[in-house]
Amino acid sequence: MEGDARGWTRRSTLALLPAIGVAACARSVAAPAPLRLWAMSWEGDYSPLLMPAFTAATGIAVEVQSLPTTASHEKLLIATAGGALPDVFMLFNGWLTEFATIGAIAPVPDPSIVAGMFPGMLDATRVGGRDYAVPWSVAPQVNFYRRDLLAAVGYDAPPGDWPALRTMALKLKRRRPDDFVFLMLLNWPTALINILSQAGVRPLRDHDTRANFSTPEGQEAFAWYASIFADGLAPKALSTEVQDPVAAFAQGYFAIWPSGPVTLRDLAQRNVPKHLWSTARCAGPRGPGALSGESASLCVAATTGRPAEAWALVRHLTSVESELHFQRAIGNLPANLHAWASPQLDQPVLAAFADQMRYPAPGPKVIEWEQIQLQVQFAAERVVRGVETIPQALAGLDTRVDRILAKRRALVEAGKLA
Amino acid sequence: MSARAAAQERTAWLFSAPVLAIILLVFVLPTALAMALSVTDYSIYALADWDNLRFVGLGNFVDLFTTPLFWRALGNTALFAVLGVPMAIGASLFTALLLDDVTVRWKPLWRVLLFAPYVTSIVATAVVWRFLFNERSGLINRLIGAVGIPPIDWLGDPHTSIPAILIFVTWKIFGYNMIVFTAALSAVPGDLMEAARLDGAGRWSRFRHVTLPAIGPTLLLAAVMSVAGFLQIFAEPYVMTLGGPAQSTTTILFFMFEEGFKWWNLGQASAVAFILFLMILALTLIQTRVGKRYEWL
Amino acid sequence: MAVTSRARAVVANAAVALLTLLTIAPLGYMVVVSFMPRGESGMLPTPLWPSRWSLENYHELLVRRLIDGAWFDYRIVPALWNSLGIAALSTGLGLLLTVPAGYAFAKLRFRGRERLLKLLIASLVVPGQVAMLPLFLIFKELGLVNSYAGVILPSLAGIFAILFVRQATLAIPDEMIDAARLDGAGEMRIFARIVLPLLAPITVTLALFMFLGSWNDFLWPLIILADQQRYTLPVAVAAIAREHAADAELMMAAAVVTTLPVLLLFLSLQRYYMRGLLGGSVKG
Repeated sequence: MEGDARGWTRRSTLALLPAIGVAACARSVAAPAPLRLWAMSWEGDYSPLLMPAFTAATGIAVEVQSLPTTASHEKLLIATAGGALPDVFMLFNGWLTEFATIGAIAPVPDPSIVAGMFPGMLDATRVGGRDYAVPWSVAPQVNFYRRDLLAAVGYDAPPGDWPALRTMALKLKRRRPDDFVFLMLLNWPTALINILSQAGVRPLRDHDTRANFSTPEGQEAFAWYASIFADGLAPKALSTEVQDPVAAFAQGYFAIWPSGPVTLRDLAQRNVPKHLWSTARCAGPRGPGALSGESASLCVAATTGRPAEAWALVRHLTSVESELHFQRAIGNLPANLHAWASPQLDQPVLAAFADQMRYPAPGPKVIEWEQIQLQVQFAAERVVRGVETIPQALAGLDTRVDRILAKRRALVEAGKLA
Repeated sequence: MSARAAAQERTAWLFSAPVLAIILLVFVLPTALAMALSVTDYSIYALADWDNLRFVGLGNFVDLFTTPLFWRALGNTALFAVLGVPMAIGASLFTALLLDDVTVRWKPLWRVLLFAPYVTSIVATAVVWRFLFNERSGLINRLIGAVGIPPIDWLGDPHTSIPAILIFVTWKIFGYNMIVFTAALSAVPGDLMEAARLDGAGRWSRFRHVTLPAIGPTLLLAAVMSVAGFLQIFAEPYVMTLGGPAQSTTTILFFMFEEGFKWWNLGQASAVAFILFLMILALTLIQTRVGKRYEWL
Repeated sequence: MAVTSRARAVVANAAVALLTLLTIAPLGYMVVVSFMPRGESGMLPTPLWPSRWSLENYHELLVRRLIDGAWFDYRIVPALWNSLGIAALSTGLGLLLTVPAGYAFAKLRFRGRERLLKLLIASLVVPGQVAMLPLFLIFKELGLVNSYAGVILPSLAGIFAILFVRQATLAIPDEMIDAARLDGAGEMRIFARIVLPLLAPITVTLALFMFLGSWNDFLWPLIILADQQRYTLPVAVAAIAREHAADAELMMAAAVVTTLPVLLLFLSLQRYYMRGLLGGSVKG
């Protein structure tokens, strides 16, 4: 199975050589113009490492442009509007619906390109029944925990269900009343959204045109979230007040930190001793459940003039070799299932990620999802700070999200949107 | 029309038509379009398909007025202006007065050096000042630490973020008005000054009764124009704080940029632009009123 | 009396010197840090002088490096050329467009002159950012997004420049021009032979204003340029600044590259700049 996947990738890339050779001759240029790739953050800065192999195999150079993450959404939108998109670019999964709707990305032409990815991932990259992107990295949240702190109260790992987790957390708090248990800040929405996913909250209803937060599941999720802060298990603070979460975790101010693969890299860079911490799946109401991650995918622009070569590049970047190379370089977790069979990824701290990846919970496929997440976070913050009760907050959240979805609702009712 | 007049007319149009055409294309047309956009719901759906565009009348404005971040941005911008204008004008005036003293030598040298920040790129200097304000390794905290003050998290604390940016902005722009005031000060009637001194008036009294009335119009004009400048602060939050922390440095223009280009709500963003335009228009009317009153215009 | 005035002179000069030092200090520090070895500026207590002068930051910033067989490039040098080219074009074209227009509004009589003038002055009220969003849409239809023309075009709408030139041209005595007309000289000849030489210092000032304005322009190039190869310096630096906030030495080097050319230009031509400022903004 794994051999097949790798062989197919290399075979298909080599198969393109004659085609590209003919094309190059036809253009009668010494070397074909470079392909353009845009990626964000670490992927953007380190993608050039993956290019020599591609250039050696196909003779095409690749120009990589790194976008700063916080400015990437507007740069991509502006490029789309202005017809200035590159050939291949990276997108966060939450943006796929948006870019597919505005016709910026091309559908995947060949199912073999996405074969071999985590099965649940394809759910996120599918828009209107067609695949629009190839998953590149996965980044589900897991609980990073301090082994020494938990061992001191008699636990090997944090329990997987909320009541047991609460019991353990209260023991920890009693033992170290000046420290906190959970590193969860009031303006970090991911952990909160994951709590909602775990509780089984379906955020939107009616073809995703109306908010659906005032439900028993929503109540349960918000109640759990609020209780964490009410019991003093997490600080009522924003990220501006906890400037260096890695240092705080390393120094034991927090025992449990729900976070993604980025933290693996941060802890390694800061030389935090490996025996001090480990990872476990995040807890759900009755055991660990499904949650999403800020995963990323590669897309080919609809406006590219060289689709065949662009898809060859995508195939190369999502191949097992490239994924493993990337993992060594920047710690990215591959979306390619076959890469996980490699001994390189057979580390105990990665086991929780691999496990969680089999239970993804993609968000609703609406363009406004990112704005809605912010509203959920604001509502939860109001509950935590005692400004509103949970039913009030949920009702207010429903009203505000309904307003955000007004345009979508109008279009769906007019039959213009699915 | 005589041949000469006709020749003048032809030349005039030849000389001015190109630039007027460009002004029409890149200024007049878009401004009109902005008014038009502000009454539609142009959003990412319209980018997908023009058909999705709808006319919504004052809907965008109503939406804006019920968006807390809009009011926050308005408040922040007002705070920037209210705190910043006295700071900037004060710094300019102080420096101009200092330079005006007869005993100071090498005036052109000081003038040029003090003006230098004004011609630098805002992005480059914002990057430099972001480093200066760094809580751990910034020079400013080191300096105040030398006099015993504990380190301040300038750009990370919502309470100090605006003052920090204002210090930077003042540093950057004070040179401009310093030159303007220098010119104004040189126009203060010297004989009046002499008479006041001979009458035994003290330094402050001379300033209040001779200098201030003479440079008053310039001062007021500079202040009003500064406010317009402070209303358009964008690059500093964009580079230094991303509108944070906790949205404490989100200005009107920053809000407009994010609404327009990050979320692609061009309809709403145009409404913000329109409101900004009204604010500056009001300011200019005040400026005209003041100018007329002091017979300056 | 002499002692007091001497003491006062010392205090006044010292105060000015101190103020100037404080003002220049950030720029000086910027240069100093850019030559520090990587990571040194983060050490405590904050160093004020490099332990050793190193060019590594400039090397990393400006030179394409080969690491593990892959090319890494911040693309600052292309940005430098872009800024230079765009600023030069903006200035050249801008002068070509606005100086004749300023003269026309001052000295040539034509229908609608006064009305157009009032409109121009009134339009100074409208902040440029209002037009930004729809202008992007217009350029999108015209295919000017991500192009140099897209960056330069809006800067050519020099309303301020026209009024500035007009103000300066008004000072030229009418009799001189009328005499030339009576002598039979054509309008173009009058402009080229008589007016332009008189406007030369103003033109230099205006060129300086335009060049500086174009070089430092940030918001519009940020919006209209998508391709890193086309970025101007401020846009390129802003892009790096987001992700490399912790690499202070690198960022200082980038800041130096952005500010130094312009500072040098200003220092060499500051006489014209100051004259232009004073001449344009103070009356009587």
